[in-house]
Amino acid sequence: MRRHVSLYGLTVSLPLLIWQLLFFVFPLVFLIALSFWTVRNFRMQPDFDTVNWITMYGRGIFWQAYATTLALATMAAVLTSIFAFPCAYAIAFKLPERAQRWAIMLMVIPFFTSYLVRIYSWQVFLSDAGIINVMLGWIGLGPYGLLNTPGATLLGYVTLALPLVVLLQLFSLIFIDRTLVEAAHNMRCGRLRTVFEVIVPSARVGLVIAGLFAFILSFGDFVSPIYLGGGDPTTLSILITDTTKSGQQWPRAAVIALTMIVTLMIVAFLSIRFAYRGRK
Amino acid sequence: MNQENQANRNPWVSGALKLYVVLAYLFIFAPILASFVFSFNSDRFPTIPLGHFSTEWYRAVAADPLVWEGLRNTLLVGVVVGVISTALGFGAAYTDYRYSFMGKQLYMALALLPPTIPVVIMGLAMLAFLSRLNLSGDALAVIIAHVVICAPFAMAVIRLRLSQMDPSLEPAAWNLGASEWATMRHVIVPFCRPAILGALFVTMAVSFDEFAIAWFVSGLNETLPVKVLGFLQGQVSPRINAIGTFVFVISMTLLILAQLLLGRTAAKDKE
Amino acid sequence: MTQAPLVSFEGVVKRFGSYTAVQKIDLDISQGEFLALMGSSGCGKTTTLRMLAGLEAPTEGVIRLSGQPINDLPSWSRDTPMVWQSLALFPFLNVVENVEFALKMRGMGKADRRRRAEQWLDRMQIAEFAGRNISQLSGGQRQRVALARSLVVEPKILLLDEPLSALDAALKVRMQSVLKNLQRETGITFVYVTHSQSEAFSMADRVVIMSRGKVEQIGTPRDIYRAPRSRFVADFLGSSNIFSGELARDAQGRPTIVTDSGDFILPGVGAPGIEGQKSSLTVLDTRMQVHADAPQDVQNSVAARMVGEEFTGATATIYFETQSGQEVRVQKTHEELAGLDLQIGQLFHLSWSPSDGHLVNE
Repeated sequence: MRRHVSLYGLTVSLPLLIWQLLFFVFPLVFLIALSFWTVRNFRMQPDFDTVNWITMYGRGIFWQAYATTLALATMAAVLTSIFAFPCAYAIAFKLPERAQRWAIMLMVIPFFTSYLVRIYSWQVFLSDAGIINVMLGWIGLGPYGLLNTPGATLLGYVTLALPLVVLLQLFSLIFIDRTLVEAAHNMRCGRLRTVFEVIVPSARVGLVIAGLFAFILSFGDFVSPIYLGGGDPTTLSILITDTTKSGQQWPRAAVIALTMIVTLMIVAFLSIRFAYRGRK
Repeated sequence: MNQENQANRNPWVSGALKLYVVLAYLFIFAPILASFVFSFNSDRFPTIPLGHFSTEWYRAVAADPLVWEGLRNTLLVGVVVGVISTALGFGAAYTDYRYSFMGKQLYMALALLPPTIPVVIMGLAMLAFLSRLNLSGDALAVIIAHVVICAPFAMAVIRLRLSQMDPSLEPAAWNLGASEWATMRHVIVPFCRPAILGALFVTMAVSFDEFAIAWFVSGLNETLPVKVLGFLQGQVSPRINAIGTFVFVISMTLLILAQLLLGRTAAKDKE
Repeated sequence: MTQAPLVSFEGVVKRFGSYTAVQKIDLDISQGEFLALMGSSGCGKTTTLRMLAGLEAPTEGVIRLSGQPINDLPSWSRDTPMVWQSLALFPFLNVVENVEFALKMRGMGKADRRRRAEQWLDRMQIAEFAGRNISQLSGGQRQRVALARSLVVEPKILLLDEPLSALDAALKVRMQSVLKNLQRETGITFVYVTHSQSEAFSMADRVVIMSRGKVEQIGTPRDIYRAPRSRFVADFLGSSNIFSGELARDAQGRPTIVTDSGDFILPGVGAPGIEGQKSSLTVLDTRMQVHADAPQDVQNSVAARMVGEEFTGATATIYFETQSGQEVRVQKTHEELAGLDLQIGQLFHLSWSPSDGHLVNE
C-alpha cells in the first residue's frame, strides 16, 4: 500500500534476512573458500590451492562412494515413491474425510520422533538374534545376515522418507478434480487405466517433487548407511563425517559437500524440468 | 465429494487398498512401537520373546549425569531456538503477507530453503564457519544452526494463519487510528496468537530431535540426541529406547498442544 | 453551496503501474450530505474511497479534508472511519471491545471509553450483545457493531464500502432505512460506495456515477434518472430505451433524430447539437405508451412486435422488437395494460411525447 521503505517494514523483514545471510548463505559460501585451503601439521590455513580437489577427485574410493550414494538414493526415491503411492491413493480416494484427517495426523508423528531411535529399533529387528530372525527360526528358516547390507541401508532411507513422500503425494492427489476421473470412466477408461492415464499425469508435479525429496533426504543421510549398512559400501555422507570428525581434513570434506550440493542442484533441476515438461 | 462414486466401487479393490494403508502405517510405526516396548523390557539384547517388565533402563538413564547435562542443553537450546525462530518466522510470514518488493522470491527462498539442504552439509558448513568466529563447541553454535533450519517451519505455520485473516482487518485498524506498530500489537499478534504458540512448540520439537548438525557443532556441550548418537556408536544399549520414549513423549506433548491451539482456532473461525 | 466543502478531490489520479484506476477526479462533498459513489466493479469507486481513507496514495492531484490537504497524512492520523464490505470486525475482541478500539487508540481512559462505547451500542440497539463474540452475532447485528465502531469517535465523515452486500434482500432494505435515519440524525457526511442502483438512489442526496476511472455524471437521483447525461449512464441505469442515430431537422424544421427504427422528434429544451452529429435518444420505459392500432395524434411512434413479457409485482415489463431489430422495453401497471390483447408475435405501436425523450452523448 505505502510504497516507500518504512522503518516499521524493515524492522519486521530484516531480522530473518540478516540471520539467514549470516548463518545460512555465508557458511555455504565459506565452504567454497574452505575447499581451497590447505592443512599443514593438523592446522588449517587460508590458501588458494586446488590440492584438495585433486586429491579427492583422484581417489577411487571417492568415486566409488559417489556411485554408491547416487545409486542408493535413486533406488530409495523410486522404491519409496512406489511404496507410498497405493497408500496415498487409498487415503485420497477411498477413505472418508474423518479417517483422512486422522491418517494425515498420524503421518505427521514420525517427523517428531527421533530418527536415531527408529534406526536403532530397526537394528533390533534385523540383527542376527533379532526379531525377524527369531520369527523365521520358528518356521525353520535362517538366521540370515540382514544387518550391515545395502538392503538394510535402503530400509533406513525408506523409513526416513516414506512419511514425507506419502504426505506430498497425498496433497497432490487430493486436489485432483474428481470429475476428471468420472469423465475418464464415462469414456470407457477402466479403473486401473484411469490411475495411469488420468490420475498419475494430473498429479505428476507433486509425485516428482515427492520423489525428489526422498532422493535429497537419502542422499544426505549418514545414519542409515553407518548403523544399518555397517558403513560398507561407503557413502559420501560417511566420507564427510569421517573426514571431518577423525581426519581434521575439513577442506577435503568441503570438496565432498560441494560436489554433493552441485549434484543435488542438477538432480533437482532435472526433476523439476521433468515435472513441468509439456506444461506452461 | 471426497469419495469415489459409489457406483464404480469394487469392494475387493477398496478392501485391498485399505489393508495396504494399514500395513504401511504398521511399517512406519513398527520401530516407534518396538522402541517403546523394549524400553520396559529387562533383557540387555532386545529381541523376542520378551523378558519381564522392568524400568531398569529408565533408572540407568536417570542415574547418568551426562544424560542430565544433555537434557539440560537440549531444553536450553530448544527454548531459545523456539523463541528466536518464531520471532524471525513471524517477521518473514508478515513480510510475505503484506509486502511485495523486488527480490521477494529470493527473500522467500532464504526463508524456506534451509531444511532442504542435507544435514551433513549444513553441519560441516556450520562447523567450519562458526569455528572461524570461535563459536563452535558452544551451545550458542547449536542455537544459531537450529534457528536457521527451524525458522522456516515457524514461518510456514504463521503464514498459514495470516492467510486466514480478513485482508481488511489491518487497514481497518489503521482507519480507526491505530498506527502500524499499534496495529501489530493490538490486531496482527492477537489474531496470530494461536499460530505463534503453535510455531513455538513445533520449532522446539524440531530442535529437540535434531542430532546431525548439533553433533557437528556442539563440541562438548552435547544435546540429548547427540548423546543418543554416542550410545548408538558404542555398544547397543536399550538405554536408547528409554531416552527415545522420553523425548517422544515430550515432542508429542508439544505437538498435541500446537494441534489443539490451531485446531480450536480453526473451529472457532468457522462458527 | 455557501459553505466550503468538507472534502474536495482536485484533479486526483491513481495509477497502479500502467493501469489507471482513477483518472482526474474533481469532486466536492459538502458537510452533512449523503453521497453515493456508484458504478460497476473496476470503475474506480472503491479506489476513490480508499484514497480518502488514506489506504491508497493519489498519484496526482490533491485531496482536502476541511480545506487541509491530506495526501501525506497516514491512514491512522485522519478521522475518516470506514465501514468495510467484509465489516472487518476484530474476531478476537468481543462486541464492546471492538467498539472501544478507536477510542483506545486515541488514548482515552478505560472507564470513559467503555461508557462511550456502551452509549453507541445502545443507540444501535445492540447493547444486550456487548459481551458477545463477533462469531455469535447475526449479519444485521454485525452490521450495527461495525457502524458503532466507526461512529464512536463522532467523526465528521463516514466512509462506507458496499456495507450491505453480504445481507439478504429483506435485511438490506431494513438497513437502508437505518443508515438513512442515522445520517439524518447525526448530520455526519456519508460517502457510500455501491454497485447497486437501488441502494444509491434510495439513500443518497447526490449520486456520482463512475465508469473506467472517470466520473460520468453527478446529480440528485431524480436528475440522473430523468436526464442521464451520457449513453453509458442511460445503459447503466437500464431503465431507458435508447435509439441511436444522427441529428437532423424534419420538414417543419423541428429537431429530429434519424434512427434505424424511424425518425423521432426531439424535446424542445436543451441544445440539440449540430445536424449530422451522431447522438442517442433515451426514453424511460415507463413513459412509453402501447397501442393496438397506429395512433393518429402522437408525434413519435414506432411499430414493434411483442417478443416477451415479465411480471414483477404490480408492474409488467413487455419486450418488443422493431422492424430494424431493436429491442424496446415498456413498463406498465396491470391496469394500464388491461385493454390490450397481449400475445407474443402480435404487432403493436409504441409512442411517446417528445418532451419525454432525452438526448445523450454517444
